[in-house]
Amino acid sequence: MKFLKYILIIIFLFNLNLSNANENNSHSKITKNLRCLICQGQSIHDSDSEFANSIKILVSKKLNDGLSEDQIYILLKEKYGEWILYDPGFNKNTYFLWLLPLLMFIIGGAIILKIFIIKKN
Amino acid sequence: MASLIGFYSLIFGLCLSFIVVLFSIKNFRNSLVFDKKILSLTSLQLFFVITSFLGLIISFINSDFSNETVFNHSHTTKPLFYKISGTWGNHEGSLLLWLLVLNLFIFLFLLKSKEQDKNYRILTLLFQQVIIIGFFIFIIKTSNPFNYIFPIPTEGLGLNPILQDPALAIHPPILYLGYVGSSVIFSATLAATSLNYISKNWAKHIKTWVLWSWIFLTLGILLGSIWAYYELGWGGFWFWDPVENVSLMPWIALTTLLHCILILERRKILTSWVIILSISTFTLSMCGTFLVRSGILNSVHTFANDPERGLYILIFLFCLIFLSLFIFFFYHKTDDKQKYDFFWLSKESSILVNNWFMMYFLVVILIGTIYPIFLEVINSEKISVGPPFYIKLITPFLIPFLFAMAIGPKLKWIKSDIQNKINLSIFLIISFILSILIIKNLKVNFLVNTILVTSALYLFLVTSKEFLIKGINNLAQNLAHFGFSLLILSILFNNFFSTEVITNLKIGETFKSEKIHITFESIEKKKINNYSSIIGKININDPKGLNQTLEPELRIYNQPNIVTSEADIKTNLFSDKFITMNLVQNQDYFNIRYQIKPFMIWIWLSVLLICSGGLISLFRKKI
Repeated sequence: MKFLKYILIIIFLFNLNLSNANENNSHSKITKNLRCLICQGQSIHDSDSEFANSIKILVSKKLNDGLSEDQIYILLKEKYGEWILYDPGFNKNTYFLWLLPLLMFIIGGAIILKIFIIKKN
Repeated sequence: MASLIGFYSLIFGLCLSFIVVLFSIKNFRNSLVFDKKILSLTSLQLFFVITSFLGLIISFINSDFSNETVFNHSHTTKPLFYKISGTWGNHEGSLLLWLLVLNLFIFLFLLKSKEQDKNYRILTLLFQQVIIIGFFIFIIKTSNPFNYIFPIPTEGLGLNPILQDPALAIHPPILYLGYVGSSVIFSATLAATSLNYISKNWAKHIKTWVLWSWIFLTLGILLGSIWAYYELGWGGFWFWDPVENVSLMPWIALTTLLHCILILERRKILTSWVIILSISTFTLSMCGTFLVRSGILNSVHTFANDPERGLYILIFLFCLIFLSLFIFFFYHKTDDKQKYDFFWLSKESSILVNNWFMMYFLVVILIGTIYPIFLEVINSEKISVGPPFYIKLITPFLIPFLFAMAIGPKLKWIKSDIQNKINLSIFLIISFILSILIIKNLKVNFLVNTILVTSALYLFLVTSKEFLIKGINNLAQNLAHFGFSLLILSILFNNFFSTEVITNLKIGETFKSEKIHITFESIEKKKINNYSSIIGKININDPKGLNQTLEPELRIYNQPNIVTSEADIKTNLFSDKFITMNLVQNQDYFNIRYQIKPFMIWIWLSVLLICSGGLISLFRKKI
């Protein structure tokens, strides 16, 4: 049974990178990932400010033009800077952001393992 | 007058701090028994701080605008309830509340720790007084709530309308009881470290304090979350906003500490780790205060953007961290032959696994919260770290965590093996099949979500079975874990099954789709003391025969002049119907947002279950 669990976890890890291709309402998904620049801590999707509304219209226009989700993010990033994206990309500015927690997880695991090694000695 | 009394009480309170410190040092050195005077002096100090706080409340009730804080945050037309809650709805008042709770806790600690060692009690008091003095000076120097203005204004500037709400009126005091409760844990741990007093008995004694602050912190976060859900009008309850994160971080540290203390209660191992956790819990609470008060964070909670205040807290924080590290490295004696003689499969190791994952979650949130600040300082690039970041880094680790939560409590101390393997496997298969059936028809990533739901369902089934078998044995732990599985399940299902309609409607118009008809019937105008309101009547009609009228509201507050949108929510056991209405500038239609949010109420209930696990643990000890 444990074996099955491990297999599932492994499959799952491989699957992590596959994005949900069949996301139906990509409009709301995209606007949920955008920060409303003039509000405090609200996404474009949840805001009713003029800025948010104009971005919502822009996003639906671009979707109609056939742009993909990522293309829209790139477009907005060029226009408003990375501040607008809630999902920080993986680049030289954010290596630490993404990798440090994982590194800490590994270190934590190593420390716990060491406790058992102490025991054996 | 009340302000004047309040201010002088503050000064007296500060003076008393020094007297208490003097007496304590004398008592610490020269005597074998605890000096009763110290207790009376501490209660006198508490009395002065309460007086000071009452002074501020009375100034608020009387709308005494000669007081700057009252002038900035109150208004004569506000209802009495919000005049009172306005006392802590601002920077100065909320710090006074911090101070009050700091004093209250150390007073209770002295009352409740009579069977403990005299030196330990006094040293705890001394460390707590260091924090108290720091806050006294901070308040008097940079954020005096009793500043006088002349000429006296006739009307105040009013309280931010989104803070005028019952949940938010009690959210800060409850949250502070949790935050500041960790100060006693901090002081007590430092005292116990310096005296080499950490033992199994000490663990039993400190556990009560950990549990109380944990319960209050949980409730405080819950209240904030409920408030965000119905007041901010977007139908969510958690946004990974920095200010939400800073309240979650001490909670995670405290939860980890709680689990770690369970080991310490049995055997004297992992003492260093308990000390580090106690220190970090309080440090994180202070950090939270610093980040919120300094205005570094971009959030709804930022009511003060004064760099001097931020700087003071930062320096104070560094002093406290330095002090605690000093004590940790120079006084903490690890027993050379600490025996970690437990098997890899045992309750100890499962708690270590809990600690490991909890620390990982803490690190994710910590880095996600402060990384953008550092990046901006270093190369002035502004990035946002929002929900997608946390979801990506946390959910994969949640799966093994949930499995460990199901199995861990079934293990025995020191050495164990898994019993009832067949039962556990059957549960795994059942939960796997159930989740496949649930996820199959949804438009979400199949594999990830199936495994996630499986793990949550698994924990749910295993803990439910425990209720049946063991009844009230081990109820506290089981209830908390059961609550957690319910929380994760409700959040997941809430995510999967939420639907929404956003549309612009004029009065009399109907939005029609296959599933739903939304008719904007009429509006009604009302005038209430401090705001006027527009109430819309909106009829929801769906083919299943449901016919409901919801009444979202727009409030136009007089002072400050702000329009807020009040959602109308119809709750039942299965789902919430959530509707908001908003004005669209220069248009004659309203923006209507209608959401069906399944299992909302279960999110709140499951957090209450988790809390009640803590409460039961507290009271079972006493029986």
